[in-house]
Amino acid sequence: MSDNKEWHLHPETEYRFELDPGTSLVIKLQRGHAEIFGAELAEGKSYLFGSECKAAVFTWHGCTIQMSRSLSYVSDETPMSTYANVHFVFEQMRVRALRDLHGSPPSDDDPPRVLILGPENSGKTSISKILTNYTVRAAQNWSPLLVNLDPAQGAWTIPGTISAAVVRSPIGTASPANPLGSAATSAPTALASNALIPLTYWYGNPDTKSNPQLLDRLVRNLGVHVIERHDMDPQARVSGLIIDTPSSFASGPSSGSSADSRHTLIKACVDAFHINVILVVGHEKLNAEMQRLYGTQLTVVKIPKSGGVVELDHAYRERVHSYQLHAYMYGQKIDPPPGVSSGLVGGEAATELILSPSSTIINLGDLTIYRVGPESIAPSSALPIGAARTLSEMQPTLLDPASSGTRLVNRVLALLAPFNEDENERYDEEILDLPAVGFLVVTSLDIPNKKMTVLAPTQGPIVGGTAITGSFEWTE
Amino acid sequence: MSMYSQPPTTYGQVTFPAPSYQSALAAYSYQQPPLPAPPIYHVDPNSFRRDFAARLAELTINSRPIIQTLSMFAQEYSRWADVVAQCIDSHIRRVPPWTKLPAFYLLDAISKNVFDPYARHFAPFVIPLFLDTYQQVDQATRSKMEEMLLTWRTGAPSGKELFGVITQLAIERGVWGGSDSASSADVSKVQVLSELEFTLSQKERALQSNPWDSTTQKHVEVLQQLRKLVEAGVSQDELRQILSQLRSLTRAPQAPPQTLPVPPPSSSYPTSSSTYPYSQQPTYARQFQSTFSTGPPPQPSGAFNYQSEPRKVEPVNLSALLSSAQANSQTSTAPAMPPSSITNLYNALLKAGVVTADGTPVGAGSNNDEERTPPPSSSLSRDNTRAYRKAILSEKIKLTTTDIVRKRPFVMSFLYDRLPVQCKQCGVRFSDDASGKKAMEDHLDMHFRQNRKVNQNQGRGHSRSWFVSLEDWLREGGSDVKGKRRADGSRPSSWKSVAAAEAAQRDAELRSQFVVVPPGDEAKSISCPICKETMQSEFLEDDEEWVWRNAVKRDDRIYHATCHLEAITSAQNLAARLRDGTGCSRSRTPEVGGIRSTPPKGNGQRTSLSPSPGAKRAMLKRKIVSDDQGSDRYPTEEADGTPPMKKLALSS
Repeated sequence: MSDNKEWHLHPETEYRFELDPGTSLVIKLQRGHAEIFGAELAEGKSYLFGSECKAAVFTWHGCTIQMSRSLSYVSDETPMSTYANVHFVFEQMRVRALRDLHGSPPSDDDPPRVLILGPENSGKTSISKILTNYTVRAAQNWSPLLVNLDPAQGAWTIPGTISAAVVRSPIGTASPANPLGSAATSAPTALASNALIPLTYWYGNPDTKSNPQLLDRLVRNLGVHVIERHDMDPQARVSGLIIDTPSSFASGPSSGSSADSRHTLIKACVDAFHINVILVVGHEKLNAEMQRLYGTQLTVVKIPKSGGVVELDHAYRERVHSYQLHAYMYGQKIDPPPGVSSGLVGGEAATELILSPSSTIINLGDLTIYRVGPESIAPSSALPIGAARTLSEMQPTLLDPASSGTRLVNRVLALLAPFNEDENERYDEEILDLPAVGFLVVTSLDIPNKKMTVLAPTQGPIVGGTAITGSFEWTE
Repeated sequence: MSMYSQPPTTYGQVTFPAPSYQSALAAYSYQQPPLPAPPIYHVDPNSFRRDFAARLAELTINSRPIIQTLSMFAQEYSRWADVVAQCIDSHIRRVPPWTKLPAFYLLDAISKNVFDPYARHFAPFVIPLFLDTYQQVDQATRSKMEEMLLTWRTGAPSGKELFGVITQLAIERGVWGGSDSASSADVSKVQVLSELEFTLSQKERALQSNPWDSTTQKHVEVLQQLRKLVEAGVSQDELRQILSQLRSLTRAPQAPPQTLPVPPPSSSYPTSSSTYPYSQQPTYARQFQSTFSTGPPPQPSGAFNYQSEPRKVEPVNLSALLSSAQANSQTSTAPAMPPSSITNLYNALLKAGVVTADGTPVGAGSNNDEERTPPPSSSLSRDNTRAYRKAILSEKIKLTTTDIVRKRPFVMSFLYDRLPVQCKQCGVRFSDDASGKKAMEDHLDMHFRQNRKVNQNQGRGHSRSWFVSLEDWLREGGSDVKGKRRADGSRPSSWKSVAAAEAAQRDAELRSQFVVVPPGDEAKSISCPICKETMQSEFLEDDEEWVWRNAVKRDDRIYHATCHLEAITSAQNLAARLRDGTGCSRSRTPEVGGIRSTPPKGNGQRTSLSPSPGAKRAMLKRKIVSDDQGSDRYPTEEADGTPPMKKLALSS
């Protein structure tokens, strides 16, 4: 580390940094206490950041950090104490709910089931992460359920999904490829947050507006199972749940139909997850709206957004999608800056995060591939007045991989869980309710020989499986 | 037993420089063959030596965290085992007598927990080092060293002598005087007393963790009487009897069943290994637990008793003493009154239920310690929960936009000040009360296990798992959540543990395979052609033959069974992938590296290599796949017996 910079941070300030593409950064806590999005740093360990990571090292007590190069700035205006207070209120709800569970005076104390709403670039995901991290750090064995409903950001899987996972250890930050920890791999991990076991549904598109009906259905599916899980495990239920949402839930033109669809989706969330707290991040109007709609049945609170949030452009989001797909298949690889031998990536030794996917040639008929809805869905508002859709948004269409119109090459597919074994339990649209077991990428098509090559995360049962396409394409 | 009654040193006190080059090599070794270690070092041995020596210098007190950290460090850098060994050797020789013991505990911890390659690096110098040190230290330290020495008898993963039988005997002879410990000649009083102390301390600790165990309680009483007796002076013959009794008393359940009767005193060398029945550690995995739960010398009965331990299982053979005991049978009230003779004492032992007449282990079958949590700790944790709730609820705060923006310093005290114990590895915090300490220890154990797994898996390659089924997801963590600390990454999910269990079983089965050493070749040293490591030969008591463990014979060459299977699997994967022609992940797969140095030879008997159901299933799957695709794409290796690598090599 030739170019080491030391920074002394005063209490309740944060050092904010943004990495350029292809660069990496090492931060080491020299003295004091520091945390990144609520996950505390261990003193003297080298933490690696890469893939255009944008993050902040915050300190409650003051600290000295060393980093491989200096970029960006220190801010002393953060909403962290507000977030900490919010956490504390949730903690009170948890201990009350736990007391109820143990039987002392029966009451209706509910654990926090929190929906976080906010416009684009308001830091919703960071707040979800901070609140989750504080919860698991309390050393009370909490295991909150973290839910990602934003199909534009992959959380612990890939974009195009909505999913839920129980979190048991603080979630580290290293790159936007795994903003909320990582789904389990065969590698041993030090932190449970790098081996999450998610329940994942495939929506297949980053834009919530492309098929709100489908999203609504998936949200409700996810909600049903989250509640079911909590019913089976009351101990885990008291840890509560925290839901990160897409910005489209919060903003959007107030044109009739669009507002309708987002209100429908918010309502779907509130119903499906039995929400009792809505946090509105830095959005007066939305706060007022939510107060009006839900103020009587649950708590709606506005919380400030951090001044550190970064405006993210479309190109950046596209690159992040690519990072996420790469990380899903190949793991996180961050090359340390020159002169640094290695470090921790999101709390793990860097090696353990490197994965080898499996590439297989299969017959075209080995995989049954569907598309849900018409190929490109124009918003209803864009249809000529009076025109009805020719194809239902929920209609699964069987695709012929050999047909030139299908354009399967480089396409990301979600491999679905098997259908119900009991024939009698099957139904037409069952395919819409099946969770994903993993994701595949069609890397080449050999139509004359009726073969295709698919990249899968690991070896396993692809042949005979059912997959759904989406709008995502990925090349290495 | 002052060392054990000491509370573990607090973790907060100890600081040490972090490894600035942690996993330096690891980041790249992935593409390299698993063994031998890749030639490109990102840190040179000299700076490693400097760093390790500096850390070692901090080991001046018996501090569990330091020892643990150092031994994790050693594990991580096992490719420089020689450097570590040299550092420890010179450190122990250099430091003053009162700081030698902690360093010995480190040596002990490393060799038991990492074992390979450390035990064989330590073995050459451990005899003089131990004996020289033994001469220089005070009596208290000596008895600690003797205790440690006793654990070395069974310290190896196989349950054998940690540094080999010759080393063990040499040290014991140096410590307890001229006699081979298994021989009838002069059993010294010192030796008996020291083994007695050792057994007694084990029992006492078992009693501490489980005060209601009346059996153990009686054991302790009897052993104390026995000690008095020995101190008062008994005949050589009696000493020997006591010794053999003690040894059978401390023998662990997994010890080779029943070597009745007590072995003849004048056994020759190979057979003498079977007369060496001390095995305090039931399994390798547990050693680690107990090592760090009781302070360095791994004892089965840790102060923090959260792993199953052989406390109650004492397969004992009594034939010898029963015959002598039958002479006087008037001593039915023996435990109450001072035993007048050894015979009486044995009867007392019998009465107390330490041993049973037919050799059945006392308490065997009911020994399901894993589920047993010491009652005090669970009520403790309930108290903690209550105290935490009280503290949390005592603060007033409302979930309103105005109330939550107020600054409240106490909020952070719950995440920092009230959790003063912090893991140096990952920054996770714990409270400093009993349950917090316990959680911290579990957490450190998890790190250690994880590190060991990482080392074992190095270069093997990993991949993203498929997501679990809905049913498994719903049940993940369900009923077994109670009382288990899981903020640390120990995942309860059944699928994962099933997979792990399968893998472990497969591994165990592979390792249990052996090849009989041809007569006359016992002394010959052979190495596995794949990993180049020396094959360990051992004496199989049941068959009375020397064998190479974890070995298979293919084409007249002896391979490690595990290496062989791995090589074959890699070859298959590689062949398949190369034929796919996609090449997209070729350069990243570990198999490429793995195969370069491991040309698997004739594998016509593959099925015999994969005895576990899991492996078979995988193979079946592979076959189905290849059938589906036509055999032209995946020429099966079995068909012509030509290893796929050969073909590839020819065609390239």
